[in-house]
Amino acid sequence: MAHNTAMADGFEKPKRRGNLPINLKTREAIAAYLFLAPFMIFFLVFVVRAVISAVQLSFYNWLILPPTADYIGMDNYMELFNDSVWWESLKNTIIFTSLTVVGTTVVALAAAVAVTRPIRGAGFFRVLLYVPSLFSVGAVGLIWVWLLNTQFGIINYGLSFLGIKAINWLGDPNLVIPALSLTTIWWGFGFPMLIFIAGLQGIPETLYEAARIDGANDRQIFFNITLPLLRPTILFVTVTGVISHFQVYGQPFIMTNGGPGRSSYTVILYLYEIAWTAFRMGYGAAVAVAIAGIMAIITTFQFLFISRRVEY
Amino acid sequence: MKPENSILPKNTVAYVFLLLMAFFVVFPMLIAVSQSFMTNQEVNRWPPQIIPVEPTMDSINAVLTQQDLRLDLWLRNSLIAATGYTFAVLVLCAPAAYAFARLKFPGNNILFGFLLVTIMIPPQVTLIPNYLLMRDLQWLDTFNALIFPGAANVFGVFLLRQFFIQIPADLEEAAVLDGAGYFGRFWHVVLPLSRNALVALGIFVFLGHYNDLFWPFIVTNSLETRTLPVGLAILNSSYAGQYRPMVLSGAVLSTIPILIVYVIFQRQIIKGITLTGMGGR
Repeated sequence: MAHNTAMADGFEKPKRRGNLPINLKTREAIAAYLFLAPFMIFFLVFVVRAVISAVQLSFYNWLILPPTADYIGMDNYMELFNDSVWWESLKNTIIFTSLTVVGTTVVALAAAVAVTRPIRGAGFFRVLLYVPSLFSVGAVGLIWVWLLNTQFGIINYGLSFLGIKAINWLGDPNLVIPALSLTTIWWGFGFPMLIFIAGLQGIPETLYEAARIDGANDRQIFFNITLPLLRPTILFVTVTGVISHFQVYGQPFIMTNGGPGRSSYTVILYLYEIAWTAFRMGYGAAVAVAIAGIMAIITTFQFLFISRRVEY
Repeated sequence: MKPENSILPKNTVAYVFLLLMAFFVVFPMLIAVSQSFMTNQEVNRWPPQIIPVEPTMDSINAVLTQQDLRLDLWLRNSLIAATGYTFAVLVLCAPAAYAFARLKFPGNNILFGFLLVTIMIPPQVTLIPNYLLMRDLQWLDTFNALIFPGAANVFGVFLLRQFFIQIPADLEEAAVLDGAGYFGRFWHVVLPLSRNALVALGIFVFLGHYNDLFWPFIVTNSLETRTLPVGLAILNSSYAGQYRPMVLSGAVLSTIPILIVYVIFQRQIIKGITLTGMGGR
Protein backbone atom coordinates (compact mmCIF):
# COMPACT_ATOMS: atom_id res chain seq x y z
CA MET A 1 0.00 0.00 0.00
CA ALA A 2 2.53 2.50 1.19
CA HIS A 3 4.83 1.41 -1.57
CA ASN A 4 2.11 2.02 -4.13
CA THR A 5 1.35 5.55 -3.04
CA ALA A 6 5.03 6.31 -2.97
CA MET A 7 5.28 5.06 -6.56
CA ALA A 8 2.31 7.13 -7.61
CA ASP A 9 3.74 10.21 -5.93
CA GLY A 10 7.12 9.65 -7.40
CA PHE A 11 5.92 9.06 -10.95
CA GLU A 12 2.80 11.10 -11.36
CA LYS A 13 4.09 14.48 -10.28
CA PRO A 14 7.03 14.90 -12.62
CA LYS A 15 4.91 13.47 -15.45
CA ARG A 16 2.17 16.04 -14.87
CA ARG A 17 4.71 18.80 -15.08
CA GLY A 18 6.12 17.52 -18.37
CA ASN A 19 2.79 16.84 -20.12
CA LEU A 20 -0.04 19.08 -21.21
CA PRO A 21 -2.30 19.85 -18.26
CA ILE A 22 -5.18 17.59 -19.32
CA ASN A 23 -6.63 14.89 -17.12
CA LEU A 24 -7.08 11.22 -17.87
CA LYS A 25 -10.79 11.57 -18.69
CA THR A 26 -10.16 14.10 -21.41
CA ARG A 27 -7.30 12.07 -22.82
CA GLU A 28 -9.52 9.00 -23.02
CA ALA A 29 -12.24 10.99 -24.77
CA ILE A 30 -9.76 12.40 -27.29
CA ALA A 31 -8.42 8.90 -27.95
CA ALA A 32 -11.98 7.64 -28.44
CA TYR A 33 -12.79 10.35 -30.99
CA LEU A 34 -9.60 9.57 -32.87
CA PHE A 35 -10.54 5.89 -32.98
CA LEU A 36 -13.99 6.83 -34.24
CA ALA A 37 -12.94 9.47 -36.74
CA PRO A 38 -12.14 7.32 -39.83
CA PHE A 39 -15.38 5.38 -39.55
CA MET A 40 -17.46 8.47 -38.84
CA ILE A 41 -16.04 10.36 -41.82
CA PHE A 42 -17.06 7.57 -44.20
CA PHE A 43 -20.36 7.16 -42.41
CA LEU A 44 -21.18 10.86 -42.67
CA VAL A 45 -20.28 11.06 -46.37
CA PHE A 46 -21.79 7.83 -47.68
CA VAL A 47 -24.73 7.30 -45.33
CA VAL A 48 -25.85 10.48 -43.54
CA ARG A 49 -25.17 12.85 -46.42
CA ALA A 50 -26.64 10.37 -48.90
CA VAL A 51 -29.88 9.91 -46.97
CA ILE A 52 -30.36 13.66 -46.51
CA SER A 53 -29.56 14.25 -50.15
CA ALA A 54 -32.02 11.56 -51.26
CA VAL A 55 -34.83 13.13 -49.26
CA GLN A 56 -33.94 16.55 -50.63
CA LEU A 57 -33.72 15.28 -54.20
CA SER A 58 -37.15 13.69 -53.92
CA PHE A 59 -38.69 17.19 -53.95
CA TYR A 60 -37.07 18.09 -57.25
CA ASN A 61 -37.58 17.31 -60.89
CA TRP A 62 -34.18 16.52 -62.33
CA LEU A 63 -33.13 14.45 -65.35
CA ILE A 64 -29.44 14.06 -64.38
CA LEU A 65 -27.94 16.14 -67.23
CA PRO A 66 -29.25 19.70 -66.65
CA PRO A 67 -27.14 21.54 -64.08
CA THR A 68 -30.20 22.85 -62.23
CA ALA A 69 -33.20 21.06 -60.83
CA ASP A 70 -36.73 22.42 -60.40
CA TYR A 71 -38.27 22.38 -56.95
CA ILE A 72 -41.66 20.73 -57.29
CA GLY A 73 -42.64 20.08 -53.67
CA MET A 74 -44.64 16.92 -53.16
CA ASP A 75 -45.29 16.35 -56.88
CA ASN A 76 -43.01 13.30 -57.09
CA TYR A 77 -44.85 11.68 -54.21
CA MET A 78 -48.22 12.56 -55.74
CA GLU A 79 -47.10 11.01 -59.01
CA LEU A 80 -45.92 7.91 -57.15
CA PHE A 81 -49.26 7.64 -55.39
CA ASN A 82 -51.05 7.55 -58.74
CA ASP A 83 -48.46 5.36 -60.45
CA SER A 84 -49.99 1.97 -61.28
CA VAL A 85 -46.62 0.40 -62.11
CA TRP A 86 -45.33 1.32 -58.65
CA TRP A 87 -48.35 -0.28 -56.94
CA GLU A 88 -48.07 -3.40 -59.05
CA SER A 89 -44.37 -3.79 -58.30
CA LEU A 90 -45.05 -3.15 -54.62
CA LYS A 91 -47.74 -5.85 -54.62
CA ASN A 92 -45.37 -8.31 -56.34
CA THR A 93 -42.60 -7.47 -53.88
CA ILE A 94 -44.85 -8.01 -50.87
CA ILE A 95 -46.11 -11.37 -52.22
CA PHE A 96 -42.57 -12.48 -53.03
CA THR A 97 -41.28 -11.38 -49.62
CA SER A 98 -44.08 -13.13 -47.72
CA LEU A 99 -43.71 -16.41 -49.62
CA THR A 100 -39.95 -16.38 -49.38
CA VAL A 101 -39.69 -15.43 -45.71
CA VAL A 102 -42.28 -18.01 -44.63
CA GLY A 103 -40.79 -20.72 -46.86
CA THR A 104 -37.21 -19.96 -45.85
CA THR A 105 -38.06 -19.89 -42.14
CA VAL A 106 -39.92 -23.22 -42.27
CA VAL A 107 -37.26 -25.00 -44.35
CA ALA A 108 -34.42 -23.53 -42.28
CA LEU A 109 -36.05 -24.46 -38.96
CA ALA A 110 -36.80 -28.02 -40.13
CA ALA A 111 -33.24 -28.45 -41.38
CA ALA A 112 -31.83 -27.02 -38.15
CA VAL A 113 -33.93 -29.37 -36.01
CA ALA A 114 -32.87 -32.37 -38.11
CA VAL A 115 -29.22 -31.42 -38.12
CA THR A 116 -29.02 -30.91 -34.34
CA ARG A 117 -30.17 -34.51 -33.74
CA PRO A 118 -27.38 -36.76 -32.50
CA ILE A 119 -26.91 -38.50 -35.85
CA ARG A 120 -23.85 -39.46 -37.81
CA GLY A 121 -22.78 -36.95 -40.41
CA ALA A 122 -24.71 -34.04 -38.84
CA GLY A 123 -21.65 -31.79 -39.24
CA PHE A 124 -21.32 -32.78 -42.88
CA PHE A 125 -24.97 -31.94 -43.60
CA ARG A 126 -24.52 -28.57 -41.92
CA VAL A 127 -21.61 -27.72 -44.20
CA LEU A 128 -23.35 -29.09 -47.30
CA LEU A 129 -26.70 -27.37 -46.80
CA TYR A 130 -25.00 -23.99 -46.49
CA VAL A 131 -23.30 -24.26 -49.91
CA PRO A 132 -26.04 -22.57 -52.03
CA SER A 133 -25.80 -19.47 -49.81
CA LEU A 134 -22.28 -18.92 -51.13
CA PHE A 135 -23.44 -18.59 -54.74
CA SER A 136 -23.84 -15.22 -56.37
CA VAL A 137 -27.32 -14.31 -57.49
CA GLY A 138 -25.95 -14.48 -61.04
CA ALA A 139 -24.99 -18.14 -60.74
CA VAL A 140 -28.24 -18.99 -58.94
CA GLY A 141 -30.31 -17.25 -61.59
CA LEU A 142 -28.48 -18.89 -64.49
CA ILE A 143 -28.85 -22.36 -62.99
CA TRP A 144 -32.48 -22.05 -61.93
CA VAL A 145 -33.80 -20.36 -65.05
CA TRP A 146 -32.77 -23.52 -66.87
CA LEU A 147 -34.13 -25.93 -64.22
CA LEU A 148 -37.46 -24.11 -64.51
CA ASN A 149 -37.45 -24.12 -68.32
CA THR A 150 -40.80 -25.23 -69.73
CA GLN A 151 -39.53 -27.37 -72.61
CA PHE A 152 -36.30 -28.91 -71.36
CA GLY A 153 -36.25 -28.18 -67.62
CA ILE A 154 -35.44 -30.86 -65.07
CA ILE A 155 -38.26 -29.77 -62.77
CA ASN A 156 -40.91 -30.37 -65.42
CA TYR A 157 -39.16 -33.65 -66.26
CA GLY A 158 -39.48 -34.75 -62.61
CA LEU A 159 -43.14 -33.68 -62.54
CA SER A 160 -43.84 -35.63 -65.76
CA PHE A 161 -43.36 -38.84 -63.78
CA LEU A 162 -46.28 -37.74 -61.59
CA GLY A 163 -48.35 -37.22 -64.72
CA ILE A 164 -48.12 -33.43 -64.55
CA LYS A 165 -47.92 -31.67 -67.92
CA ALA A 166 -45.19 -29.15 -68.70
CA ILE A 167 -45.65 -26.04 -66.54
CA ASN A 168 -44.59 -22.63 -67.81
CA TRP A 169 -43.06 -21.59 -64.47
CA LEU A 170 -41.50 -18.29 -65.45
CA GLY A 171 -44.01 -17.44 -68.19
CA ASP A 172 -47.21 -17.75 -66.18
CA PRO A 173 -48.16 -14.54 -64.31
CA ASN A 174 -49.52 -16.60 -61.41
CA LEU A 175 -46.56 -18.92 -61.09
CA VAL A 176 -43.60 -16.66 -61.73
CA ILE A 177 -43.39 -15.26 -58.18
CA PRO A 178 -43.71 -18.67 -56.47
CA ALA A 179 -41.02 -19.96 -58.86
CA LEU A 180 -38.70 -17.07 -57.95
CA SER A 181 -39.49 -17.72 -54.29
CA LEU A 182 -38.54 -21.38 -54.59
CA THR A 183 -35.27 -20.34 -56.22
CA THR A 184 -34.62 -17.88 -53.41
CA ILE A 185 -35.44 -20.42 -50.68
CA TRP A 186 -32.90 -22.80 -52.22
CA TRP A 187 -30.36 -20.01 -52.32
CA GLY A 188 -30.95 -18.45 -48.92
CA PHE A 189 -32.12 -20.96 -46.31
CA GLY A 190 -28.56 -21.80 -45.17
CA PHE A 191 -28.03 -18.62 -43.19
CA PRO A 192 -31.24 -18.81 -41.10
CA MET A 193 -30.57 -22.54 -40.68
CA LEU A 194 -27.28 -21.74 -38.94
CA ILE A 195 -28.97 -19.08 -36.81
CA PHE A 196 -31.63 -21.62 -35.77
CA ILE A 197 -28.92 -24.16 -34.92
CA ALA A 198 -27.40 -21.60 -32.56
CA GLY A 199 -30.82 -20.93 -31.07
CA LEU A 200 -31.58 -24.62 -30.61
CA GLN A 201 -28.24 -25.23 -28.94
CA GLY A 202 -29.05 -22.44 -26.49
CA ILE A 203 -32.08 -24.29 -25.11
CA PRO A 204 -31.03 -26.17 -21.94
CA GLU A 205 -31.21 -29.95 -22.28
CA THR A 206 -32.78 -30.19 -18.81
CA LEU A 207 -36.01 -28.64 -20.10
CA TYR A 208 -36.41 -31.46 -22.63
CA GLU A 209 -35.62 -34.08 -20.01
CA ALA A 210 -38.16 -32.63 -17.58
CA ALA A 211 -40.82 -32.60 -20.30
CA ARG A 212 -40.08 -36.20 -21.22
CA ILE A 213 -40.37 -37.27 -17.59
CA ASP A 214 -43.77 -35.56 -17.54
CA GLY A 215 -44.73 -37.75 -20.48
CA ALA A 216 -44.69 -35.14 -23.27
CA ASN A 217 -44.30 -36.49 -26.82
CA ASP A 218 -42.05 -35.01 -29.51
CA ARG A 219 -44.75 -32.86 -31.02
CA GLN A 220 -45.74 -31.42 -27.65
CA ILE A 221 -42.09 -30.75 -26.82
CA PHE A 222 -41.56 -28.96 -30.14
CA PHE A 223 -44.64 -26.75 -29.88
CA ASN A 224 -44.54 -26.09 -26.11
CA ILE A 225 -40.82 -25.82 -25.43
CA THR A 226 -38.72 -25.45 -28.57
CA LEU A 227 -40.91 -23.01 -30.47
CA PRO A 228 -41.66 -20.57 -27.60
CA LEU A 229 -38.01 -20.48 -26.57
CA LEU A 230 -36.97 -19.85 -30.17
CA ARG A 231 -39.16 -16.72 -30.49
CA PRO A 232 -36.25 -14.25 -30.29
CA THR A 233 -34.44 -16.27 -32.97
CA ILE A 234 -37.55 -16.41 -35.14
CA LEU A 235 -37.93 -12.66 -34.73
CA PHE A 236 -34.35 -12.11 -35.83
CA VAL A 237 -34.67 -14.47 -38.82
CA THR A 238 -37.97 -13.03 -40.06
CA VAL A 239 -36.96 -9.40 -39.60
CA THR A 240 -33.64 -9.82 -41.40
CA GLY A 241 -35.44 -11.97 -43.99
CA VAL A 242 -38.06 -9.30 -44.71
CA ILE A 243 -35.39 -6.62 -44.97
CA SER A 244 -33.24 -8.62 -47.39
CA HIS A 245 -36.01 -10.14 -49.54
CA PHE A 246 -37.92 -6.89 -49.88
CA GLN A 247 -34.84 -5.65 -51.72
CA VAL A 248 -35.09 -8.50 -54.23
CA TYR A 249 -33.59 -7.50 -57.53
CA GLY A 250 -31.15 -10.00 -59.02
CA GLN A 251 -33.49 -12.99 -59.40
CA PRO A 252 -36.19 -11.22 -61.43
CA PHE A 253 -33.57 -9.11 -63.22
CA ILE A 254 -31.73 -12.18 -64.48
CA MET A 255 -34.45 -14.81 -64.70
CA THR A 256 -37.53 -12.94 -65.95
CA ASN A 257 -36.59 -9.30 -66.49
CA GLY A 258 -39.69 -8.51 -64.45
CA GLY A 259 -41.97 -10.43 -66.79
CA PRO A 260 -44.16 -11.85 -68.11
CA GLY A 261 -45.57 -8.36 -68.57
CA ARG A 262 -44.86 -6.85 -65.17
CA SER A 263 -45.81 -9.94 -63.15
CA SER A 264 -42.43 -10.23 -61.42
CA TYR A 265 -41.52 -6.56 -61.47
CA THR A 266 -40.26 -5.54 -58.01
CA VAL A 267 -39.79 -2.15 -56.36
CA ILE A 268 -36.02 -2.22 -56.76
CA LEU A 269 -36.31 -3.11 -60.45
CA TYR A 270 -38.64 -0.14 -60.72
CA LEU A 271 -36.15 2.10 -58.90
CA TYR A 272 -33.49 0.95 -61.35
CA GLU A 273 -35.69 1.73 -64.34
CA ILE A 274 -36.65 5.19 -63.10
CA ALA A 275 -33.15 6.26 -62.05
CA TRP A 276 -30.85 4.47 -64.51
CA THR A 277 -32.81 3.99 -67.70
CA ALA A 278 -35.16 7.00 -67.55
CA PHE A 279 -32.57 9.02 -65.54
CA ARG A 280 -35.32 10.68 -63.50
CA MET A 281 -33.19 11.17 -60.40
CA GLY A 282 -35.74 13.22 -58.43
CA TYR A 283 -38.55 10.75 -58.98
CA GLY A 284 -36.14 7.87 -58.35
CA ALA A 285 -35.21 9.42 -55.00
CA ALA A 286 -38.92 9.59 -54.12
CA VAL A 287 -39.25 5.89 -55.01
CA ALA A 288 -36.23 5.07 -52.81
CA VAL A 289 -37.56 7.09 -49.87
CA ALA A 290 -40.96 5.38 -50.21
CA ILE A 291 -39.28 1.94 -50.22
CA ALA A 292 -37.33 2.86 -47.08
CA GLY A 293 -40.47 4.13 -45.36
CA ILE A 294 -42.44 0.98 -46.15
CA MET A 295 -39.62 -1.25 -44.90
CA ALA A 296 -39.35 0.73 -41.66
CA ILE A 297 -43.11 0.39 -41.09
CA ILE A 298 -43.10 -3.36 -41.79
CA THR A 299 -40.17 -4.09 -39.45
CA THR A 300 -41.68 -1.95 -36.67
CA PHE A 301 -44.92 -3.94 -36.91
CA GLN A 302 -43.00 -7.21 -36.86
CA PHE A 303 -41.25 -6.17 -33.67
CA LEU A 304 -44.50 -5.12 -32.02
CA PHE A 305 -46.34 -8.25 -33.11
CA ILE A 306 -43.73 -10.78 -32.07
CA SER A 307 -42.63 -9.04 -28.86
CA ARG A 308 -46.25 -8.92 -27.69
CA ARG A 309 -46.60 -12.64 -28.17
CA VAL A 310 -43.37 -13.26 -26.27
CA GLU A 311 -44.78 -11.41 -23.23
CA TYR A 312 -47.89 -13.52 -23.43
CA MET B 1 -35.27 -50.61 -23.88
CA LYS B 2 -38.10 -48.16 -24.39
CA PRO B 3 -36.01 -44.99 -24.82
CA GLU B 4 -33.85 -46.79 -27.41
CA ASN B 5 -36.94 -47.59 -29.44
CA SER B 6 -38.30 -44.07 -29.29
CA ILE B 7 -35.00 -42.50 -30.33
CA LEU B 8 -34.36 -44.71 -33.31
CA PRO B 9 -37.41 -43.87 -35.47
CA LYS B 10 -37.05 -40.17 -34.61
CA ASN B 11 -33.53 -40.07 -35.93
CA THR B 12 -34.55 -42.07 -38.97
CA VAL B 13 -37.09 -39.37 -39.84
CA ALA B 14 -34.39 -36.72 -39.38
CA TYR B 15 -32.01 -38.71 -41.52
CA VAL B 16 -34.47 -39.21 -44.37
CA PHE B 17 -35.35 -35.52 -44.24
CA LEU B 18 -31.68 -34.52 -44.37
CA LEU B 19 -31.07 -36.79 -47.35
CA LEU B 20 -34.01 -35.17 -49.15
CA MET B 21 -32.64 -31.71 -48.28
CA ALA B 22 -29.21 -32.73 -49.50
CA PHE B 23 -30.76 -33.86 -52.78
CA PHE B 24 -32.69 -30.56 -53.07
CA VAL B 25 -29.45 -28.64 -52.52
CA VAL B 26 -27.03 -30.71 -54.56
CA PHE B 27 -29.10 -31.80 -57.56
CA PRO B 28 -29.37 -28.33 -59.21
CA MET B 29 -25.60 -27.91 -58.90
CA LEU B 30 -24.85 -31.35 -60.31
CA ILE B 31 -27.18 -30.75 -63.27
CA ALA B 32 -25.43 -27.44 -63.99
CA VAL B 33 -21.99 -29.06 -63.81
CA SER B 34 -23.06 -32.04 -65.87
CA GLN B 35 -24.73 -29.97 -68.58
CA SER B 36 -21.66 -27.73 -68.82
CA PHE B 37 -19.96 -30.72 -70.45
CA MET B 38 -22.73 -31.19 -73.04
CA THR B 39 -23.24 -29.90 -76.52
CA ASN B 40 -26.03 -27.47 -77.28
CA GLN B 41 -28.07 -30.19 -79.00
CA GLU B 42 -27.70 -32.52 -76.06
CA VAL B 43 -28.97 -29.89 -73.61
CA ASN B 44 -31.97 -28.97 -75.75
CA ARG B 45 -33.47 -32.42 -75.75
CA TRP B 46 -36.44 -34.18 -74.17
CA PRO B 47 -36.17 -36.06 -71.91
CA PRO B 48 -33.39 -33.91 -70.39
CA GLN B 49 -29.99 -35.61 -70.25
CA ILE B 50 -28.58 -36.00 -66.75
CA ILE B 51 -25.16 -37.35 -67.69
CA PRO B 52 -23.29 -36.27 -70.84
CA VAL B 53 -22.95 -39.14 -73.33
CA GLU B 54 -19.78 -37.72 -74.83
CA PRO B 55 -18.38 -35.14 -72.38
CA THR B 56 -16.98 -32.11 -74.19
CA MET B 57 -15.05 -29.06 -73.01
CA ASP B 58 -16.37 -26.96 -75.92
CA SER B 59 -18.72 -24.73 -73.96
CA ILE B 60 -16.21 -24.21 -71.14
CA ASN B 61 -13.61 -23.20 -73.74
CA ALA B 62 -16.13 -20.98 -75.47
CA VAL B 63 -17.12 -19.09 -72.34
CA LEU B 64 -13.45 -18.45 -71.60
CA THR B 65 -12.49 -17.31 -75.10
CA GLN B 66 -15.45 -15.35 -76.51
CA GLN B 67 -14.49 -11.78 -77.41
CA ASP B 68 -17.43 -10.23 -75.59
CA LEU B 69 -16.87 -12.20 -72.36
CA ARG B 70 -13.96 -11.66 -69.97
CA LEU B 71 -14.42 -14.12 -67.13
CA ASP B 72 -10.73 -13.82 -66.20
CA LEU B 73 -10.89 -10.03 -65.84
CA TRP B 74 -14.26 -10.15 -64.09
CA LEU B 75 -12.94 -12.65 -61.57
CA ARG B 76 -9.83 -10.52 -61.00
CA ASN B 77 -11.98 -7.40 -60.55
CA SER B 78 -14.29 -9.17 -58.13
CA LEU B 79 -11.39 -10.49 -56.06
CA ILE B 80 -9.60 -7.13 -55.92
CA ALA B 81 -12.77 -5.21 -55.10
CA ALA B 82 -13.96 -7.69 -52.46
CA THR B 83 -10.51 -7.88 -50.84
CA GLY B 84 -10.12 -4.10 -50.83
CA TYR B 85 -13.60 -3.68 -49.44
CA THR B 86 -12.98 -6.25 -46.69
CA PHE B 87 -9.80 -4.45 -45.58
CA ALA B 88 -11.54 -1.09 -45.67
CA VAL B 89 -14.37 -2.40 -43.49
CA LEU B 90 -12.01 -3.94 -40.95
CA VAL B 91 -9.76 -0.86 -40.82
CA LEU B 92 -12.72 1.46 -40.26
CA CYS B 93 -14.87 -0.73 -38.02
CA ALA B 94 -12.37 -2.24 -35.59
CA PRO B 95 -11.11 1.05 -34.05
CA ALA B 96 -14.64 2.46 -33.91
CA ALA B 97 -15.89 -0.71 -32.22
CA TYR B 98 -13.00 -0.48 -29.74
CA ALA B 99 -13.97 3.06 -28.79
CA PHE B 100 -17.60 2.05 -28.27
CA ALA B 101 -16.70 -1.07 -26.29
CA ARG B 102 -13.84 0.13 -24.11
CA LEU B 103 -13.51 3.88 -23.91
CA LYS B 104 -15.52 6.41 -21.93
CA PHE B 105 -16.36 9.53 -23.86
CA PRO B 106 -19.26 11.96 -23.91
CA GLY B 107 -21.95 10.75 -26.32
CA ASN B 108 -20.90 7.11 -26.43
CA ASN B 109 -24.39 5.67 -25.96
CA ILE B 110 -26.18 8.30 -28.02
CA LEU B 111 -23.82 7.84 -30.96
CA PHE B 112 -24.01 4.07 -30.82
CA GLY B 113 -27.80 4.16 -30.58
CA PHE B 114 -27.89 6.45 -33.60
CA LEU B 115 -25.74 4.00 -35.58
CA LEU B 116 -28.05 1.13 -34.64
CA VAL B 117 -31.10 3.04 -35.86
CA THR B 118 -29.42 3.59 -39.23
CA ILE B 119 -29.17 -0.19 -39.70
CA MET B 120 -32.91 0.05 -40.35
CA ILE B 121 -32.36 2.37 -43.31
CA PRO B 122 -32.25 0.25 -46.46
CA PRO B 123 -29.16 0.93 -48.56
CA GLN B 124 -31.33 1.73 -51.60
CA VAL B 125 -31.99 5.23 -50.26
CA THR B 126 -28.31 6.00 -50.59
CA LEU B 127 -27.94 4.59 -54.12
CA ILE B 128 -28.81 7.69 -56.15
CA PRO B 129 -26.85 10.26 -54.09
CA ASN B 130 -23.83 7.95 -53.86
CA TYR B 131 -23.99 7.21 -57.59
CA LEU B 132 -24.04 10.95 -58.30
CA LEU B 133 -21.09 11.42 -55.94
CA MET B 134 -19.14 8.68 -57.77
CA ARG B 135 -19.89 10.42 -61.05
CA ASP B 136 -18.76 13.81 -59.71
CA LEU B 137 -15.57 12.35 -58.25
CA GLN B 138 -15.00 10.56 -61.58
CA TRP B 139 -14.88 7.27 -59.72
CA LEU B 140 -17.21 5.44 -62.10
CA ASP B 141 -15.47 2.42 -63.63
CA THR B 142 -12.83 2.43 -60.87
CA PHE B 143 -12.20 0.23 -57.85
CA ASN B 144 -12.78 3.25 -55.60
CA ALA B 145 -16.46 3.14 -56.45
CA LEU B 146 -16.63 -0.56 -55.61
CA ILE B 147 -14.69 -0.29 -52.35
CA PHE B 148 -15.41 2.93 -50.46
CA PRO B 149 -19.13 3.80 -50.50
CA GLY B 150 -20.14 0.78 -48.41
CA ALA B 151 -17.06 0.68 -46.20
CA ALA B 152 -18.67 2.32 -43.16
CA ASN B 153 -20.41 -0.92 -42.24
CA VAL B 154 -22.49 -0.34 -39.11
CA PHE B 155 -23.14 -4.04 -38.76
CA GLY B 156 -19.38 -4.62 -38.52
CA VAL B 157 -19.04 -2.09 -35.70
CA PHE B 158 -21.94 -3.71 -33.88
CA LEU B 159 -20.51 -7.22 -34.21
CA LEU B 160 -16.98 -6.29 -33.16
CA ARG B 161 -18.21 -4.17 -30.25
CA GLN B 162 -20.13 -7.16 -28.90
CA PHE B 163 -16.96 -9.20 -29.13
CA PHE B 164 -14.60 -6.59 -27.63
CA ILE B 165 -16.88 -6.11 -24.61
CA GLN B 166 -16.41 -9.76 -23.65
CA ILE B 167 -12.63 -9.49 -23.41
CA PRO B 168 -11.64 -9.34 -19.71
CA ALA B 169 -10.54 -5.85 -18.65
CA ASP B 170 -7.62 -7.29 -16.62
CA LEU B 171 -5.76 -8.10 -19.81
CA GLU B 172 -5.83 -4.49 -20.89
CA GLU B 173 -4.90 -3.27 -17.41
CA ALA B 174 -1.80 -5.44 -17.53
CA ALA B 175 -0.81 -3.68 -20.74
CA VAL B 176 -1.45 -0.29 -19.14
CA LEU B 177 1.00 -1.16 -16.36
CA ASP B 178 3.53 -1.99 -19.08
CA GLY B 179 3.08 1.55 -20.32
CA ALA B 180 0.85 0.87 -23.32
CA GLY B 181 -1.27 3.78 -24.59
CA TYR B 182 -4.76 3.42 -26.02
CA PHE B 183 -3.51 2.38 -29.42
CA GLY B 184 -1.08 -0.12 -27.92
CA ARG B 185 -3.86 -1.74 -25.93
CA PHE B 186 -6.07 -1.92 -29.01
CA TRP B 187 -3.33 -3.20 -31.29
CA HIS B 188 -1.41 -5.57 -29.00
CA VAL B 189 -4.12 -6.82 -26.63
CA VAL B 190 -7.64 -6.53 -28.07
CA LEU B 191 -6.98 -7.24 -31.75
CA PRO B 192 -4.92 -10.43 -31.29
CA LEU B 193 -7.60 -11.79 -28.94
CA SER B 194 -10.30 -11.04 -31.50
CA ARG B 195 -8.89 -12.92 -34.43
CA ASN B 196 -11.91 -15.22 -34.71
CA ALA B 197 -14.36 -12.33 -34.77
CA LEU B 198 -12.26 -10.39 -37.29
CA VAL B 199 -11.94 -13.43 -39.56
CA ALA B 200 -15.67 -14.17 -39.32
CA LEU B 201 -16.62 -10.57 -40.11
CA GLY B 202 -14.03 -10.46 -42.89
CA ILE B 203 -15.41 -13.59 -44.52
CA PHE B 204 -19.04 -12.38 -44.42
CA VAL B 205 -18.13 -8.99 -45.73
CA PHE B 206 -16.02 -10.54 -48.49
CA LEU B 207 -18.73 -12.97 -49.59
CA GLY B 208 -21.43 -10.32 -49.46
CA HIS B 209 -19.41 -7.97 -51.63
CA TYR B 210 -18.23 -10.68 -54.02
CA ASN B 211 -21.85 -11.59 -54.73
CA ASP B 212 -23.26 -8.09 -54.98
CA LEU B 213 -24.95 -7.22 -58.26
CA PHE B 214 -26.80 -3.90 -58.13
CA TRP B 215 -24.08 -1.44 -57.15
CA PRO B 216 -21.33 -2.86 -59.42
CA PHE B 217 -23.89 -2.93 -62.22
CA ILE B 218 -24.57 0.81 -61.99
CA VAL B 219 -21.03 2.05 -61.31
CA THR B 220 -19.24 0.03 -63.99
CA ASN B 221 -19.82 0.46 -67.70
CA SER B 222 -17.12 -1.17 -69.77
CA LEU B 223 -16.45 -4.84 -70.42
CA GLU B 224 -13.09 -4.63 -68.62
CA THR B 225 -14.35 -3.12 -65.36
CA ARG B 226 -17.34 -5.38 -64.69
CA THR B 227 -17.38 -7.78 -61.76
CA LEU B 228 -18.27 -11.46 -61.93
CA PRO B 229 -21.98 -11.25 -60.95
CA VAL B 230 -22.52 -8.45 -63.47
CA GLY B 231 -20.62 -10.47 -66.05
CA LEU B 232 -22.89 -13.44 -65.46
CA ALA B 233 -25.92 -11.27 -66.10
CA ILE B 234 -24.31 -10.17 -69.38
CA LEU B 235 -23.43 -13.76 -70.27
CA ASN B 236 -27.03 -14.79 -69.67
CA SER B 237 -28.58 -12.03 -71.72
CA SER B 238 -26.27 -12.58 -74.70
CA TYR B 239 -25.99 -16.38 -74.81
CA ALA B 240 -28.92 -18.03 -73.00
CA GLY B 241 -31.04 -18.08 -76.14
CA GLN B 242 -28.52 -19.64 -78.49
CA TYR B 243 -26.01 -21.56 -76.41
CA ARG B 244 -27.23 -22.76 -73.02
CA PRO B 245 -24.23 -24.94 -71.98
CA MET B 246 -21.99 -21.86 -72.17
CA VAL B 247 -24.22 -20.02 -69.72
CA LEU B 248 -24.17 -22.98 -67.34
CA SER B 249 -20.37 -23.29 -67.66
CA GLY B 250 -20.04 -19.63 -66.76
CA ALA B 251 -22.22 -20.08 -63.68
CA VAL B 252 -20.24 -23.15 -62.60
CA LEU B 253 -16.82 -21.58 -63.22
CA SER B 254 -17.79 -18.44 -61.31
CA THR B 255 -18.57 -20.42 -58.16
CA ILE B 256 -15.30 -22.37 -58.08
CA PRO B 257 -13.27 -19.62 -56.35
CA ILE B 258 -15.90 -19.16 -53.67
CA LEU B 259 -16.12 -22.91 -53.10
CA ILE B 260 -12.36 -23.00 -52.59
CA VAL B 261 -12.66 -20.24 -49.98
CA TYR B 262 -15.45 -22.23 -48.36
CA VAL B 263 -13.47 -25.46 -48.24
CA ILE B 264 -10.59 -23.62 -46.54
CA PHE B 265 -12.63 -21.49 -44.12
CA GLN B 266 -15.63 -23.79 -43.76
CA ARG B 267 -15.24 -24.19 -40.00
CA GLN B 268 -14.80 -20.46 -39.36
CA ILE B 269 -17.80 -19.62 -41.54
CA ILE B 270 -20.15 -22.11 -39.90
CA LYS B 271 -18.84 -21.36 -36.42
CA GLY B 272 -18.77 -17.63 -37.00
CA ILE B 273 -22.44 -17.48 -37.93
CA THR B 274 -23.50 -19.99 -35.30
CA LEU B 275 -21.61 -18.27 -32.48
CA THR B 276 -22.27 -14.65 -33.27
CA GLY B 277 -25.77 -15.32 -34.52
CA MET B 278 -25.30 -12.89 -37.35
CA GLY B 279 -24.12 -12.63 -40.93
CA GLY B 280 -23.70 -9.93 -43.49
CA ARG B 281 -26.06 -10.44 -46.35
